[in-house]
Amino acid sequence: MSGTPAAAPPLRLVGVSVSYGARTALRKIDLSVRSGEFVALAGPNGSGKTTLLRTVLGFVTPNAGRVELFGDALESLSILERARRVAWLPQEESPRDDVRLIDYVLYGRYAFHGLLEGDSEEDYRLGHSILEQVGLADRADDGLLSISGGERQRAVLARALAQTTPLLLLDEPTSHLDIGHQLDLLARVRDLAHRREVTVVAALHDLNLAARFADRIVVLSRGRCVADGPPSEILSEGLLAQVWGVVADLRREPRTGMPYLIAHHLTTAPRRPGSGTGFGPVHVVGGGGAGAPYLRTFADDGYSLSVGALHLLDTDAEVAEALLIRGPIEAPFAPLGPEVRERHRALLAVARAIAVAPFVVGPSNLANLEDLLPYVRTTPSFLVSRPSIAERDFTGGRATQVYQQLREAGAREVTGMEEIVRELRALSSGPPTSSA
Amino acid sequence: MRLRRSSPWALLGAIVAIVAVAVTLSSFLGTVFIPPLTALRLLLGLPNACAGTSVSPDLCTRWGEIVWQARLPEIVLAVIAGAALGISGATLQGTFRNPLADPFLLGISSGGTIGAAIVFDFHVGQVAPDLFLPLFAFIGAIATGVAILAVAVSRYGTVETLLLTGVALASLLSAVLALLLLYNPSGSQQVSYWLLGSLGNASWPVDGIAVGVLLITGTLLSLFGRELNLMQLGGDVARSAGVDVRRVRIRLILLASLTTGVAVAFTGIIGFVGLVSPHVVRRIAGTDYRYVLPGSALVGAVFLLGARDFALLVYPTSLLPIGIFTAFFGAPFFIYLLFRRRAGSPMGSL
Repeated sequence: MSGTPAAAPPLRLVGVSVSYGARTALRKIDLSVRSGEFVALAGPNGSGKTTLLRTVLGFVTPNAGRVELFGDALESLSILERARRVAWLPQEESPRDDVRLIDYVLYGRYAFHGLLEGDSEEDYRLGHSILEQVGLADRADDGLLSISGGERQRAVLARALAQTTPLLLLDEPTSHLDIGHQLDLLARVRDLAHRREVTVVAALHDLNLAARFADRIVVLSRGRCVADGPPSEILSEGLLAQVWGVVADLRREPRTGMPYLIAHHLTTAPRRPGSGTGFGPVHVVGGGGAGAPYLRTFADDGYSLSVGALHLLDTDAEVAEALLIRGPIEAPFAPLGPEVRERHRALLAVARAIAVAPFVVGPSNLANLEDLLPYVRTTPSFLVSRPSIAERDFTGGRATQVYQQLREAGAREVTGMEEIVRELRALSSGPPTSSA
Repeated sequence: MRLRRSSPWALLGAIVAIVAVAVTLSSFLGTVFIPPLTALRLLLGLPNACAGTSVSPDLCTRWGEIVWQARLPEIVLAVIAGAALGISGATLQGTFRNPLADPFLLGISSGGTIGAAIVFDFHVGQVAPDLFLPLFAFIGAIATGVAILAVAVSRYGTVETLLLTGVALASLLSAVLALLLLYNPSGSQQVSYWLLGSLGNASWPVDGIAVGVLLITGTLLSLFGRELNLMQLGGDVARSAGVDVRRVRIRLILLASLTTGVAVAFTGIIGFVGLVSPHVVRRIAGTDYRYVLPGSALVGAVFLLGARDFALLVYPTSLLPIGIFTAFFGAPFFIYLLFRRRAGSPMGSL
């Protein structure tokens, strides 16, 4: 770009802080982007990625610190001068007018036109070559509203490229695209960065995309920069747990050698030593909300879970659904039917442990207790006895009878959740009892 | 869908030709009947224009005066006011990114009405009503535009707040007008006549002022096509491409207020021209504001002139307020356009 010293970094932030009212969006960010680099800004929603981009564009004024574009302080540049150095691809641009693509792309030439200057032949040549770069060469005369969403985002990219700036900012450019178009768009942007020495800074919340395409990932968390470096160096399971609050496996893609992640679940509760990730399935029998606290606690502890026959609209059924726990569901208030009981027994058969929550037993769910009998002999099982079964028995004494049989068959009577948690921990950390 | 590689300038040329024809044809119509051929000769200033007719030379001279001193000024005023309203409507629709924005929705015309009502009700400037009425109406329109601008320069100046401020101002001003009419019912008939618009004040001096203002503001407005194109993509996108959105917005609102003000000052309130004309242009020449702005001026001119001619055709002896006719045609036509728009395309691409 003319007049910009080659030595100055395309983008430099020194101690930049931004607040919106009382909320601090960015805290003392230091960042220097080298020429031709593809930098991904990563971080959870609200971590400050978009604010950082908007600050660089001059849409947001920092409370402290300075932003430099190619060595010049941002505020010393006019809006026109900025437009000749930085272009921006927003998350989604919703055009309202059916403009021809080529005309739309040439909108990006605004900063290069005089007051009465029309689009020159040279502009048109540039526009067509850019459309070719984004794979829309044959759509130049099509209307902007008549092309698909994936093509439109490429057209928006073409408009930004028409500014022929040495620095390109992208704000979640792929969040509305399907996987094919995501890969296509980012591959084009990366090629551009490497072939034409365009520097790219992109907010990307998909870490796998960031790891695959970026030369460098800058991780923001609550407005702070918490990691900065090549994807293979900075991505770790610890970082994911710390910044995103997820438990994930970090693997290496055999073909590209790039790290990629498989996120499992939230780390909502701090992981206790000895708790058994992956142990299970632990089967919970409940109903009417009695099982919900057990399901939540066990899910947080990282056990795989199944749940005993429940009725549709039952509180426990809803909790199980929210936690993605499998279990057979009967129609509301109906006695458990043969099919549902069959599926329940199938789950019991593979369970590594069974927890029976203190649920209220009536004629419609008595079968849940009866079906347990064969399994408590071989599977570690826990019956919660507070409140006592007598208080929860609405079957005329039948439930109390079955409870007695379960105890005799080997089920352990426990006073509450803590005891089961302890027992499960012992089970999961001990030597595997079977190969199941 | 493939958009045709249209030549919008050719379309604009065609509209200019239509304006010229419309002006000529309009000169045949008036409260006094003059045979069309004679009117044409008089218009062209041919010697012995009345030759071949049984008209006395005296009457022929009077006809010449009618054509040149009554009809032509009225026609020119219709062209100017229509063009002013058309280009103002296009500007405001683009500035506010809203297909319903026009000088009326935003209260600029209402501001003009308040100015006029003050003249009628308080008998201000009785010495020279022909001067003070337009002057006050003009000031009222500009003042409203400036009030909207005050919001534009504040930090609350988003498109939404601007638009809603305009709408709120329009309501407020109509309440003020109602109060003024209650306060002095004697002025109410004049005001209500004025509210419906009229070309009756036309004269060459009036036309001269109007042409002068419109030439300046219209030319300046037409230079903002690129900015408006980018602003349709959102303020942030426009800014990232180099448009100083805030400054451009201020200039556009100011220029549109001036342009509307001059139309309102001399013709009163004429509805629907500013609203409909840009939509007509978008349908025939596309959505590029470089063509929508001048195109809306030309379509507005044809529209208002057509309304004047229609009024004279159906009711040759009395001059009905022209705003009645623009509304009669404008409202159904606008609804027709709404239903004709391409399926699935948003309002903006009417």
